[in-house]
Amino acid sequence: MSRSTLVAVGKLPLYLGVSGVAILMILPFYWMVMTAFVPAPDIIAFPPKWIPSRLTLQHFAEAFAKAPWLAYYWNSFVVAVVSVGCSLLFGLFAGYAFAVYRFPLQNFFFILILATLMVPVQVTSVALYILLAQIGWVDTYQGILAPNFASAFGVFMIQQGIKSIPVDLIEAARMDGAGETRIVLTIIAPLIKTTLATVAMILFLGSWNDFLWPVIVINSQDLRTIPVGIALFKDPYGSMNYGPLMAATVISTGPMLLAYIISQKYMIRGIALTGLKG
Amino acid sequence: MASHRNRSVRQILARLHARRVLHAYLFIAPVIVLFGIFRVAPAIQTLLYSFYKVELLRGRFTFIGLENFTALLTDEIFRKATVNTLTFVVTIVPISAFLGLILAVLFNAKFHLKEFFKAVYFAPMVTSTVAAAVVWWWMYNPQFGIFNVLLKLVGLPEQPWLMSSHMALPSIIIFSIWKTLGYNMIIYLAGLQAIPQQFYEAATIDGAGAVKRFWRISVPLLAPTTTFLLIYNGILAFQVFDQVFVLTGGGPANSTNVVVLDLYRQAFERYNFGYASAEAMVLFVFILGVTVVQYVYSKRFEVTY
Repeated sequence: MSRSTLVAVGKLPLYLGVSGVAILMILPFYWMVMTAFVPAPDIIAFPPKWIPSRLTLQHFAEAFAKAPWLAYYWNSFVVAVVSVGCSLLFGLFAGYAFAVYRFPLQNFFFILILATLMVPVQVTSVALYILLAQIGWVDTYQGILAPNFASAFGVFMIQQGIKSIPVDLIEAARMDGAGETRIVLTIIAPLIKTTLATVAMILFLGSWNDFLWPVIVINSQDLRTIPVGIALFKDPYGSMNYGPLMAATVISTGPMLLAYIISQKYMIRGIALTGLKG
Repeated sequence: MASHRNRSVRQILARLHARRVLHAYLFIAPVIVLFGIFRVAPAIQTLLYSFYKVELLRGRFTFIGLENFTALLTDEIFRKATVNTLTFVVTIVPISAFLGLILAVLFNAKFHLKEFFKAVYFAPMVTSTVAAAVVWWWMYNPQFGIFNVLLKLVGLPEQPWLMSSHMALPSIIIFSIWKTLGYNMIIYLAGLQAIPQQFYEAATIDGAGAVKRFWRISVPLLAPTTTFLLIYNGILAFQVFDQVFVLTGGGPANSTNVVVLDLYRQAFERYNFGYASAEAMVLFVFILGVTVVQYVYSKRFEVTY
């Protein structure tokens, strides 16, 4: 046996282990897609048809007839874009202030912002809901957005990013007569665009998949985000209507999974990086 | 003359400093104001509401002291929800971390299609918990779900999964491991890759085998990563809600009820806002507890190594 064959054989258990777990990880996705695309009788066939013999779009037609998925998409999209946009803009200025300036109560404010990470919306939901009820924000976009206009994680990451920029660069810009606001927007922002993109991706993902707060604050069907839509779509299906239900999950997870397939390397690296920074 | 110039320089500097301070406050103002209104104030307010009976529709707030908390002590359902939440935390956190570590060690080797496999393992992490749980709800179906179909194919007895009060919580835990495994693996992998290769080479020369190298080098040097994962996953696990809401709704017979679900029901289905606030305070103490325990533990760890 040649040396390379020996190495390959030696790695056989590794490959078996890694692919075995991979099959378990991918099974739910496979089963979701299969159920969504095969005709009803094939869904419950035994033994199961791993490779479908016929396909149908019937379940998708039914799912679309029963719920306004495009409206759910629009709602999720608006909420995510506004939340990410505000968090980045406010985070950029706050992060700059914390990284570059020295001012009274600086540490107090910084710790106060980070401390909010310890008090998630799960803890504050009751009082937050009562507050929004009093100002008439329940069942509105602003209501969903209220706790997500700014992000402590964003401020922290951006502050860390700006700290790594040489102070001379900022001083040079000041010498040239650039105002502080202009420095932040035209000099700092491009320099930390990797950090900004990573923060944007993580916040977008979080907003897109968020469930608890939207389900609390939204009552009307028109305003549901995708997770709320899919969770409440499931309810009436006690029995066997799994085709449309899986079509609905394909509709709701499809675009995000596509985006992931295209940019997975970048997304994984971004999330691992922030994980290490804690 | 010199002192005069000195003073004017100092004045200019002082004015510059004042302007910087003004800028600083203007720049942090949006975040501080938004957090003050929508995060800090509701946190304090929830603490206050936990001492009140809140009747929102009538606009009536009645101070009742510790009554909400004493009621919690005798609330069988809340007790069950608390026990279930703790069970969930103490199983999912170490299991996910341990499996993630094993996988990270495997992925630290060189092999074909590594990036592809990494992407597959990580895919559940980017999928919405609600949508994934809906798929698993179908997979757990006792009659036609894929799990029982597979069991039937290999001749094993079929299981009731979510229908049984003994198996429902483990079923939710299995789902949650599937969901978080990729994240744990990626974080550990990043930690492993930061360990200098010389440590392993030196140990190999000293005759340490693969297992010994793992326990004596990888595990101790990954301690900061482990601490981070235990805190992060622990805090998230205490907030478990989405998958329980979708998979079981807390049943059967409250065997999968958890703190946040009970809080949600009390507040937004029964409108017991004061009572739910007291539950939120219990949740907060748990989350705080994770951080404190881990902090103390990691301090002790630093001394040992």
